[in-house]
Amino acid sequence: MFLQTQGITKEFGKLRAVNEVTLEIFKGDVHAIIGPNGAGKSTYFNLITGYHPADSGKVVFKGEDITGLSSYKRCKIGITRSFQRTSIYPKFSVYESVLMGLLSHRGVTTNPFSSAKKFFKEEVWRILEDVGLPDQANTLGDSISHGDKKRLELAITLGTEPELLLLDEPTCGMSPEETETTMVLVKKLSEERGITILFTEHDMSVVFGIAKRISVLHQGTLIADGMPEEVRASEEVQKIYLGGVK
Amino acid sequence: MAIKQTEQKESMLKKGWWLILLLIASFIAPLFVTEFYLTVLCEALVMSLFALSFNLLFGYMGQLSFGQAAFFGLGGYAVAMLITKAQFNFWLSLIAGPPLAALVALIVGYFCVRLRGIYFAILTLAFGQLIFVVIFKWHKFTGGDDGIQGVFPPDFLKPSTAYYYLILIIFIASTFVLWRIVNSPFGQTLKAMRENPERTEFLGINIARYQLITFVIAAAFAGLAGAIWVPFYRSVAPSYLFWVKSGEPVMAAILGGPSTFFGPVLGMFIMTFFHAYILGFTHFWPVIMGTLILIIIFLLPGGVLGFAQEKLKERRERLNQLTKK
Repeated sequence: MFLQTQGITKEFGKLRAVNEVTLEIFKGDVHAIIGPNGAGKSTYFNLITGYHPADSGKVVFKGEDITGLSSYKRCKIGITRSFQRTSIYPKFSVYESVLMGLLSHRGVTTNPFSSAKKFFKEEVWRILEDVGLPDQANTLGDSISHGDKKRLELAITLGTEPELLLLDEPTCGMSPEETETTMVLVKKLSEERGITILFTEHDMSVVFGIAKRISVLHQGTLIADGMPEEVRASEEVQKIYLGGVK
Repeated sequence: MAIKQTEQKESMLKKGWWLILLLIASFIAPLFVTEFYLTVLCEALVMSLFALSFNLLFGYMGQLSFGQAAFFGLGGYAVAMLITKAQFNFWLSLIAGPPLAALVALIVGYFCVRLRGIYFAILTLAFGQLIFVVIFKWHKFTGGDDGIQGVFPPDFLKPSTAYYYLILIIFIASTFVLWRIVNSPFGQTLKAMRENPERTEFLGINIARYQLITFVIAAAFAGLAGAIWVPFYRSVAPSYLFWVKSGEPVMAAILGGPSTFFGPVLGMFIMTFFHAYILGFTHFWPVIMGTLILIIIFLLPGGVLGFAQEKLKERRERLNQLTKK
């Protein structure tokens, strides 16, 4: 068992944002969570990564109950995330930003005396090559295009060498071409680096093209989970989400 | 790539020129300045170290501390009390300053690092004033508002010139250590916390722990500054811990440029020398200082050094574009 949420629930006042979701993510999968706006996708991510504490239920990662673990500790054991509203370092160069993930993951951030620039050059360049940002290595984070910022955040998370990577709307605000490249990249990363990827997405064509498994959230409740064909065939999903499109 | 590296080395050498010149100038300065200005120079160096310690929190970690003077004062009191009351060895007394400041910072910091922004500033101010009041009121132990007089260094350090070299060496060594810290992986983590705490936490960094460590390091250097100042001035007073004293490094950092490493040093030198010079004519120093700050904020955003760096960068980029064409 890789990651499992067991009846996990989160309420904001009277709103039950995530309602007893029990779901298993398998190692090596590219797993999509879909659902309309307000379905609870981001909140579900926040529960897995420790951004919000769960009201009830459990998060189990590699057989260990991590429900009460703080977010930075979850990152240390291999769970990293991106944010829906791109979260990067605006005044860091692209290179420095990617380096930060590596410094943290490899546990050298307590080193107060060596020059930070000397660390992990090869690894940073490899990540930059992988995500296609080597030409922007010396550009500041806030001077690159929106699509590149999204890719930069992906690059930063790769620095932490995650086993499970959660991408919250990785193609949000991207042009169709950028979306295509990004999803190909995500698939490549999953295959080459053996990262399990859990991502949310609202563009159906994107999801069915890449995800090995799909789960559907609706008003906080899990209404379908399975292979893309199974999900596509589900009447309930068609009724409330796909709008009858086959 | 090889070309890039040699270019980098060359530019480092070019950049380093002014530093080498400054070093030489600082070592031969006592030959050229009057006794009065040598004293001012000593004060500027000590206060610069104080400002650098403050800027570790403000410029690098991104938190405004308004109680940094408490640690400066604690370092000073440690030396003064050990020398006058315990007849302690001068060097050991000097070394005792930073750990005492650091220890108190560990307790104070434990509470402060849980807060951000204005709340952090207010809580550091409150703790700073609390420590001030304890020293101010505890007459039997600390001498209260009389302070402690007659804190003498060993005989060979009694001439200003000799003590100036002691201050200079400690200042250079501390600056070197601080420089290494801000450019280390630890320093990079501080900057990352300042730039985007949320992203940094989700990269596996325990923000509160790193802020606490930084708070303690900053306090230790402030304590060191206080410790070397008191034997030079031969006395210590509670005003060293007062919140007004905490405001000095804030102003120096804003004046010189908190986003640059040497900005606070430049700011403190401007303030100290201006102060010494102006006092010869008028006692309305705060009015002049206020005007100076106003001018800097409106005309040179980012401080003197920050502004200069920005302009240099723009020029370099323009030149790059020209050569590309």
